[in-house]
Amino acid sequence: MLSKSAARAFFLGGTALCGIAFVALTVDTFNRIPKQTNASQITPAVARGKELWDSSNCMGCHTLLGEGAYYAPELTKVFERRGPAFIRAMLTDPEKMYPGQRRMWKYDFTEAEKDDLIAFFEWIGKMDLNGFPPKPHLGGVVTPSGAMATTTDRPQVFNQLCVACHALGGQGGQVGPALDGVGGRMTAVQIDAWLADPPAVKPGTAMPKLPLTDGQRQELTAFLSTLK
Amino acid sequence: MKFESQRVAWWFFATCMLLFTLQLVYGLIMGFAHAGHDGLHDLIPFHVARAVHTNLLVVWLLTGFMGAAYFIIPEECDRELYWPKLAYVQLIALVVVGVVAIIGFHLQWWEGRKFLEIPRPLDYLVVIDVLLFIANIGMTIWKGRRMTTTAMVLFFGLLMAALLYLPGMLPSDNQTIDSYWRWWVVHLWVEGVWELIMGAILSFLLIKLTGVDREVIEKWLYVIVGFTFLSGILGTGHHYYYIGTPRYWLLVGGLFSALEPLAFLGMAIYAIAMARRGGRNHPNRIALQWTIGCSVMSFVGAGFLGFAHTIPQVNLYTHGTLVTAMHGHMAFWGAYAMLVLAIIAYALPLLTGRRRHDSGVASFAFWTSNIGMIAMTLAFAAAGITQVVLERRVGMDFVTVQKEIEMHFWGLILAATLFILGIGAYVYDFIRHGKPVAEVDGGAPDTASGGAEAAA
Repeated sequence: MLSKSAARAFFLGGTALCGIAFVALTVDTFNRIPKQTNASQITPAVARGKELWDSSNCMGCHTLLGEGAYYAPELTKVFERRGPAFIRAMLTDPEKMYPGQRRMWKYDFTEAEKDDLIAFFEWIGKMDLNGFPPKPHLGGVVTPSGAMATTTDRPQVFNQLCVACHALGGQGGQVGPALDGVGGRMTAVQIDAWLADPPAVKPGTAMPKLPLTDGQRQELTAFLSTLK
Repeated sequence: MKFESQRVAWWFFATCMLLFTLQLVYGLIMGFAHAGHDGLHDLIPFHVARAVHTNLLVVWLLTGFMGAAYFIIPEECDRELYWPKLAYVQLIALVVVGVVAIIGFHLQWWEGRKFLEIPRPLDYLVVIDVLLFIANIGMTIWKGRRMTTTAMVLFFGLLMAALLYLPGMLPSDNQTIDSYWRWWVVHLWVEGVWELIMGAILSFLLIKLTGVDREVIEKWLYVIVGFTFLSGILGTGHHYYYIGTPRYWLLVGGLFSALEPLAFLGMAIYAIAMARRGGRNHPNRIALQWTIGCSVMSFVGAGFLGFAHTIPQVNLYTHGTLVTAMHGHMAFWGAYAMLVLAIIAYALPLLTGRRRHDSGVASFAFWTSNIGMIAMTLAFAAAGITQVVLERRVGMDFVTVQKEIEMHFWGLILAATLFILGIGAYVYDFIRHGKPVAEVDGGAPDTASGGAEAAA
């Protein structure tokens, strides 16, 4: 039967071995992190963005690299998913972007601070994360109209901004109405006027005026008009 | 209670009760917010409630460990605490730092790093406070009349916990490096050195409650903490799967995390086997109930659910979802909350001189809180699994998914109500015990009658 001194030797020996292995792996990891995280691209703006990320306790609601709280969206790929214009609008007034929805704290960031946070998100999004976040692979199965196949034909600004609130072919947000068939309900002129300034067309609407360039608005109008 | 200075433990335990109660309030705020009712948003937004909820947990558990140490160490070393007054000073300092931190969180003064939100100046005060505590315990052991394995494991656990707080203060501009060190604190605490503290406190309780021979219990203590470190140290790797660290962590973390349940399983088998061997003759049955409950629930919550969640292929989908909250709640409850409640249940009658351990309230507290926590875990599981399927697999929008799972949070709130009833009963029982007595009784009634010889 096992003696107490043998048990102690097992404890001390096992701990020492694992501790040494862990320290060795840590050293190796630190040699590899700069390349894997593109550390050379950590500009002063990115560093300031990280400071803001911490001091605002964004992790208190959001996750980043899958770490944080589960009250608000995962933001690792937010730069790719939503683009800088949406992020800036969201940081300016979150409740305007998602009226009547789950609320985000209004931080009153300066324009320079928003630039820093956007730079931080852009850097985070380019890391090699060993396959995280995973690509949804059941999307096509449950989408009735097979819209998945055509997402690449859509304007980039549509895929980043519009789908945050609107669905098309069953994919996208449900804050605003679905956009299927919108080209049949509205003329191109109406769509263009609406995109330019929604509250001016319909006072009290939940949709905010979005930071679109003229080119983006024309592109969107042309695309939405085809949705009959 | 054998020694005068053990009395300070009562004040630590009373602080625990207060902080724990407060933690439940902030948990409820978050539950309602998730269910779509964020009426307190302008006063206590979610990220404030979250920081308070988790930090209160850490502080009340640490307070409980300190109280446990101040109760256990004099008895194990057979002498008074080396600096009895320092223990009170140290408690007051801890409470002051805690209160300042919580008020600070409401004013959004924090670091915003999950579990380590306490602002930097307060970090230093925490370190100083813990060093005072370690010094007091260390001197008591050093000058003690005997040096037991239980005392040494407890001391080593507490010392390592203090030292491992330091990596969390290393600054970095790189989010990955920042996270890397943060897990050195958080993981190596809860799945490393805190388990030493847990093993030592369980050993103390089992020695006292079952009457099994100390040599036998302490031998198995070594085996269990051996397994803890064998799996837990490299098991830190399960936090390094997807944060910008090398791919080999998927293998290392996955392999060693899979061994982590063994330590908890060992702990459960150990507690149950020792209780059987000793014949359960101690009059404080409720303390034994909490002790065994702790070992079983920690296996289910930390061991089994943790294992299921840390398989790399599973974790790719569950990482950063409510599934983590499911595992986290039951793991902390089973392993650490129940442990502190067990040592309080054991120490309270001895500190206050009131034998209330047969009361129906105590039994009600045990069963209601445990059933409540199991139900909460199920509610989190329903919400978490739905979130994983809809968001990560189907690709639905985050906000849409959150609407879909709101109803599970009503389930969670119902379960939490049951849990709060149980904890309420525990706190009521604590208050009914009254304040600690003035005289010491030499610890006469504090032994298991019979069984001791049989086990030896």
